[in-house]
Parts: sequence; structure tokens; C-alpha cells
Amino acid sequence: MSIAIEVRNATRAFRQSTGVFSTDRTIRAVDGVSFAVETGSCLGIVGESGCGKSTLARLILGLLPVSSGEILVEGQRLADMNRRERARLIQPVFQDPFSSLNPRRRIRDIVAMPLQAQGIAARDQASRVEEMLIRVGLPGSIADRLPAQLSGGQRQRVAIARALVLRPRIVVCDEPTSALDVSVQAQILNLLDELRRDLGLTYIFISHNLAVVEHISDRVAVMYLGRMVEQASTDDLFAAPSHPYTKALLASVLTPEPGLGIPDVGLGDLYPDPANVPPGCRFHPRCPVAEARCAIEVPLPRDLNSHQIECLLAG
Amino acid sequence: MHDAPALLDVEGLRVRFNPKIEAIRGVSLRVERGQTHCVVGESGCGKSVSALAVMGLLARGAKRHAAHMRFDGQDILGLSERDLQKLRGDRMAMIFQEPMTSLNPAYTVGSQMAEVLVRHRRVSKQQGLDRAAELLAKVGITAPGMRLAQYPHQLSGGLRQRVMIAMALMCDPELLIADEPTTALDVTVQAQILRLLRDLQQELGLAILLITHDLGVVARIAHKVSVMYAGEVVESASATDLFANPRHPYTRGLLACVPVPGTIKRGEPLGSIPGTVPRIADGFVGCGFRDRCVHAMPACAISVPSRDDGAGHRYLCHLQ
Repeated sequence: MSIAIEVRNATRAFRQSTGVFSTDRTIRAVDGVSFAVETGSCLGIVGESGCGKSTLARLILGLLPVSSGEILVEGQRLADMNRRERARLIQPVFQDPFSSLNPRRRIRDIVAMPLQAQGIAARDQASRVEEMLIRVGLPGSIADRLPAQLSGGQRQRVAIARALVLRPRIVVCDEPTSALDVSVQAQILNLLDELRRDLGLTYIFISHNLAVVEHISDRVAVMYLGRMVEQASTDDLFAAPSHPYTKALLASVLTPEPGLGIPDVGLGDLYPDPANVPPGCRFHPRCPVAEARCAIEVPLPRDLNSHQIECLLAG
Repeated sequence: MHDAPALLDVEGLRVRFNPKIEAIRGVSLRVERGQTHCVVGESGCGKSVSALAVMGLLARGAKRHAAHMRFDGQDILGLSERDLQKLRGDRMAMIFQEPMTSLNPAYTVGSQMAEVLVRHRRVSKQQGLDRAAELLAKVGITAPGMRLAQYPHQLSGGLRQRVMIAMALMCDPELLIADEPTTALDVTVQAQILRLLRDLQQELGLAILLITHDLGVVARIAHKVSVMYAGEVVESASATDLFANPRHPYTRGLLACVPVPGTIKRGEPLGSIPGTVPRIADGFVGCGFRDRCVHAMPACAISVPSRDDGAGHRYLCHLQ
């Protein structure tokens, strides 16, 4: 299998000003993350808010440079490419279709924008836009409307059409269904899945919703405070989560099964603060099984029954 | 089952913002003491508007009608704004989805919490602060003394929602209306907040009207459920009955859309409901769901019968 995208030890630090008289704090939103995604597969990335998953999406899209480490797309360094080259290979679909579409542009022009930016002739643009709108299940009559005249689900289809009109190799979906109602969410997930199979796309699919990730991904990575604490195939991860954090995340999903009650995930009231990363294992202050050494020793990535995990105790 | 009067009893609620469109078309809800009644539906179905109508918090210009609306046996439909204000925050309290926008950023947690008690119970500020500290501890906040002096922006999302809950409890309300209280929170924090609400209910005998779009939340916390679609309650039943035996095609469709971890077969499409929610203008007859319904038949355009299985499971549909 060929590798569509490889991330090697990527780190992204931000400086945060804390006031005129205090020194700036450094936040490592992504802190030494490595993974590879096979061509035509989907990697799901899950984690709580503030874990760095959206920063990681921006690094992969080339919207932010890495502070250290490197990202390879089909063997080429992302940092060596210019904007147009990147845009032909990687495209985004964002969470909120209400703010990611220009409210003053007609749908036709919104979807044509990437073609225009690549300098493709106007008459070719029109036919490709039309073809793409049909491909994502929108009626042709929609092309002359404005975003405000569409429903949330239709807008997200427009965002998908815009992402795919250049025939990219990789699509980074950052919470693409989180702003949608469940019935529409299901429609969009089914569409994304179908497009991936038909067009041979590679997805990086970021979500806080584990069930959605399980549905669409071949492999899942769990992020916690800037690190990937567990990676495994979707089946392995959901059948036998190994990291205590993954276990807690899975346990906190509320399935529509009455009588099961509300789970006690045992994480306590300490919320993770990316500006104040605990020593040792970053998860130890919330970990229900932490031991004394977890506060001192940093867990290195290791393989455990086909999972890659960062935990001193699991296994 | 209508023996003891419900704490909140709403019958035939109608709300209109626009002269041509009725947003709420005859909603009936009963919330029993010490129980959780969930109202579930997708955006625009009227679930939040129903809650605001009960609290008398609709925007100016909105028109509200109902056959009756009673709180603890007392009519609240005809109450003056002054009398309603006495009730709100005191015997009935409300919490919203996004705690950051419902807390005042310019005041400390302590001063906005204490104000509730100062207003309703005419106690001193210090007594208000003491009660606030006591409640912060009750909702699981460590070092409540320190939190009282902090501003909302200094708290995490989960902590802010706990503060909102504590604030709603200041006057020992009998009814808590919670509009999407965990939607903006991470799943791990959602579980903690829901456990907290359940524990408080058991301890204080609180009745909760919980509005959500999340069927997972409904299944785990509700005693009774009302499913709303296009301004109507299309199905209502006990939670166990609704999930075991959903009758309305919309409820069934909604349940099929929810991916459940562990039962997912990749490569198979999820269930989905085609189309979008219609706008229902005046003069509309028949079933509001018929354009999206796989079982729609000619009769659905003419009328929609209300069915009752005799054990409290009601739904609006021609299907038996």
C-alpha cells in the first residue's frame, strides 16, 4: 500500500501573551505527532476540545507552518510546495457551512473559486462546477442561489463540492457534521463515504463524535493535549481500547439505550490546560489508574497488540 | 395516570412570531414532580420556543395561546410580567446551552449568584454568597471560595455549566428547564454534568424539562419523552416504551440515523431521513412529516389522527 500522507514528529507551538508585565507562555498545541495514512483510507482523529486536533488539520492543510518536524504528501515535503500545488493535492471541509461560504457569492462562483485560482479557462470551469454539484447530490438549479437560501445540509454539500472540484488526493474534514442535525448528518456521512470510494480519496476525518468516527474511519488516532496517545485500526480500537483515556472516551458515549444510566467515566474535575502540561504522562492527573511513576516518567510510544500507545501501565 | 396534578401542565400551546406561520402548533406537555421529561427534535422543530413560552420569555411581538398552562395547579398563562418574574429564578429556573453567553462577563461568579437570592428572598449579599459557596460545592466544584471571586472567562466550559446549574438552584426551584445543557461540552464532561443533574434530582426532588437533539442523552436520563417535529409533538411516551417501541415514522427515522458504537458496519450507509423540515404555513392540513415519510399515503394529506395505546404512549399518525 502506498502512503498518501505522512506526518513525522510534527510540533506547532504558539506564544500566548499573558499581560504586559509577565513573560509570554508557550503552548504546544501539537507536540511531536507522527502518523501515516494509506492511500484511499480514512484516518479518524478524536479528542476533546483543546487537544490540538484542529491545529493538526491546519498544519496538514499548510495553513500553518510546523514549528518542527515535517509533513510529506505523496512523498513530497509539504513545506516545499507553493499554495497552488498544495491546493491541487489537499482540500478542506470545515465544520460550519454557515461561515465557510462567502454569503455574497453565488454557489456557482463559490465552487468555481479553486478552479479560478488555478487559472483554468472559464468555459471549462462551468462544466466542472455543474458536474461536481450533481456529484454531491445538489440540483443544478441551486447554482445561481446564495448560501443564505440553502439549508445547512445543502451548504455542507456545497463545501464538499468546492473541496472536490480540483480532484484533490486528500481531504481534511474538520468536524464536517458537528453543526448539522442528526438526520442531515447521516446524509452527509453517507455522501462522504461514497465519494471516497468512487474517487479513491484519502480522508483525515477529525471529530469529537466517536460514533461518527467509527462509522467512517479505517484507522483511529486519539489525541490528548497535543499528543497521539493511541492509534489502531478502527475495529481494534473500538473492540479493545488500551489507553485509559481512550477507555474513558468510549465509556462516555451515550448510546440511545435506555436503562444503561449515565456512565461514571472517573476522570475527575481537572480539565486539561494546554498552557500547563503536566510532567510525566500528560494524562496522569485525570487518569483513574495512574501510579506514582506516571507523574515522573514520560511514556514513549510503543506497540501493544497492534495498537500504538503512549502509556506506562497498559498491557 | 392523571390522578395527581403534574407540576407543569401545558395543554394546546400555540406560538406565532409571524402573522402567517405558527411556530408551535398545539403542544401539550406534562412534567411530573421529581421526574425528567425530555423534549427531543431537530433544529427548528420548536423545542426551545416551547420552553421559552412556558417561562414567558418569548420575544416581544410573539403571540402565545394555550388551552391551559399550569404550574403547581396555578394558572401561569394570565400572570403579569411582575408575577412571572417572581416565579422565574425562584420556583422555576432555566439553564441554557452556552454558559458563556448566559453568564455576565463583567461580574464575578459570586456576585451574580448571590443576586438571585438577594432579589427573590431579600437576604443580605453575604448570605447570598454563603449559599452560592454551598451550592458550588454541591455541584462538585472544588475550592468554591476561590471560584466565587473569579469571572466567567476564567472557568472552563464544564465549570461554567456547573456554575449555571448552581445558580439555577439558588432558590430551591421545583422545576428546572434545561435547554441543551450539555451540547457545547465534551463527551466526558457531558457525562459528568448529566450525572450531576440526575443526582440533584434524586436529592432535591427536582422536576426537569430537558430539551435536546441528542437521543443518547434522552435514553439515559429521561422518564418521559416528547418527540417534536415542525411545531408539534408527534410522539410521546415513557423513555423505555419509546425506545423499545417507537411508533411514529419520524421517531423511527431519527433512531436509525444515530450511529451506535460497537454496532457499526463500515461500508453500509447509515439510515437517514431524506429531504428537509418543511415550513408550515396557515391552512396546512394533514401530517407535517408526509413529504419525508416512507409510509406516506393519500390520507396523510387530509388528516392526521391522534392515537393513544391507553398506557400513555401517544402519537400522530395513520399507521396503527
